[in-house]
Amino acid sequence: MRCAESLRVQAYFDAEVDALSAADIERHLEHCAECRALLRDLEQVRTVLRRDSDYARAPTELRSKIMRALDQEGAAEIQVAEGAPASEGAAAPVGTATPEGTASPEGTAAPAGTASPRGTAAPQGTAFPMRTPRPRERVSPTWRMRPFWMGALGGVGGTAIAATFAFLLLLPRFANPLLDQLANAHVRSLMPSHLIDVVSTDKHTVKPWFTGHADVSPAVADFEQQGYRLIGGRVDYLDHQRSAVVVYQHGAHVINVFSWAGRDRALPADATRSGYHFAFWKAGDLDYCAVSDTGWDELLGLERLLRN
Amino acid sequence: MDEKRARFEAEVLPHLDAAYRFARWLSHAPGDADDVVQEAILRAFRAFDTLRGSDVKAWLLAIVRNCHSTALKQQQRRAFVPLPEENDVRDGHAMTATTPDPENASIRRDEQRTLDRLIAALPEEHRTVLMLREIEEMDYRQIALVTKVPIGTVMSRLARSRAALKARWLQETEGEPRAVR
Repeated sequence: MRCAESLRVQAYFDAEVDALSAADIERHLEHCAECRALLRDLEQVRTVLRRDSDYARAPTELRSKIMRALDQEGAAEIQVAEGAPASEGAAAPVGTATPEGTASPEGTAAPAGTASPRGTAAPQGTAFPMRTPRPRERVSPTWRMRPFWMGALGGVGGTAIAATFAFLLLLPRFANPLLDQLANAHVRSLMPSHLIDVVSTDKHTVKPWFTGHADVSPAVADFEQQGYRLIGGRVDYLDHQRSAVVVYQHGAHVINVFSWAGRDRALPADATRSGYHFAFWKAGDLDYCAVSDTGWDELLGLERLLRN
Repeated sequence: MDEKRARFEAEVLPHLDAAYRFARWLSHAPGDADDVVQEAILRAFRAFDTLRGSDVKAWLLAIVRNCHSTALKQQQRRAFVPLPEENDVRDGHAMTATTPDPENASIRRDEQRTLDRLIAALPEEHRTVLMLREIEEMDYRQIALVTKVPIGTVMSRLARSRAALKARWLQETEGEPRAVR
């Protein structure tokens, strides 16, 4: 017979409960041997799955096939966009895909929003506010027969809209050099549950995990003796690639070590911004940046260890 | 390249591997997975302008799931009977070994094969939920979005699939030196 709390214990294991419920469940675990065993089982299944699963990646042929298909699709889109700029507007009639569940038309309070599966009886029958993303209607060839659209709106409207779009999209990118991206990524990582994707103090777990998740495979080592404890790894999108982040703890401080493919570009000088220090270096084909609010000595100490 | 394509490549294509894995957990044959993923990416591209919010991965995987069920329905209409899941052998398809450690490599491969078989033997709705949680590391809310079931169902399916996998894994690896740590 299963303990009635087993689903909550699972939610606790999956980090889906708030601090209050967590404390509650921990109290329960103290006097429920069954749930303690369950927790161990969950841990074992996770270990085996993450260690031995097939982290398959999309085959190269599939990738290039998709790129070619997108090329064709893109060509059609451009012509359509010129012909009917209105479709870029706010009220896109088809395929309003909003996985975030903003303003679900059913009016059902999105049951998912907050991470508290505390109410163990989650509503089974609630219509989920996920809109099925339907493909936009296939471009009918008839638009080709309406040159009058293209003349009237396409010329002026389309160009104006395209220019605005391009401006808005390009602006933050130019104003966001690497340092900004790193600072944002570091600050974001410090928010609850964003720090680590793979929790492990074992470099033999962290390093292979990156093979399946990031575009690069950085140096991973534990320097516990020297005061830098390896606590896990993460992937952040940085400089248009999936950079690998190795996370260390030094005393009470978290040090994120970002790494990404270097592309022969000069790195920024070491810097301090908003109370965080940024130490950059190159090693092999990779660029590294260690970010933390530790002192410079501590940060550069880790850099020295990693470079050796 | 136009702006939409560039944004699509930056925001959606990083999840191509996840989409591919997900399609393989859904599909019966690897070739099907390729078709499903390609169709899904095209649909995603067409619907990309209407994407609001930041959960691109859950959005893309939900599309993959839709494409899979469409493909399945078409297949059934054409009277192709899909193989039962127990016979679903994934051999002959490239497996990515993730271990850099040569001594353990062959044990690892055996374990990977065993595990792969056990996972394949799970019912589809259990397998997908389990893999989305453990391998794609999605939270309950995202899994509910992708699989279109309420969170409570996600939780019970997760519990059942974990228990089943654990029991079968113990059976398979019993007596072997390197069982579950």
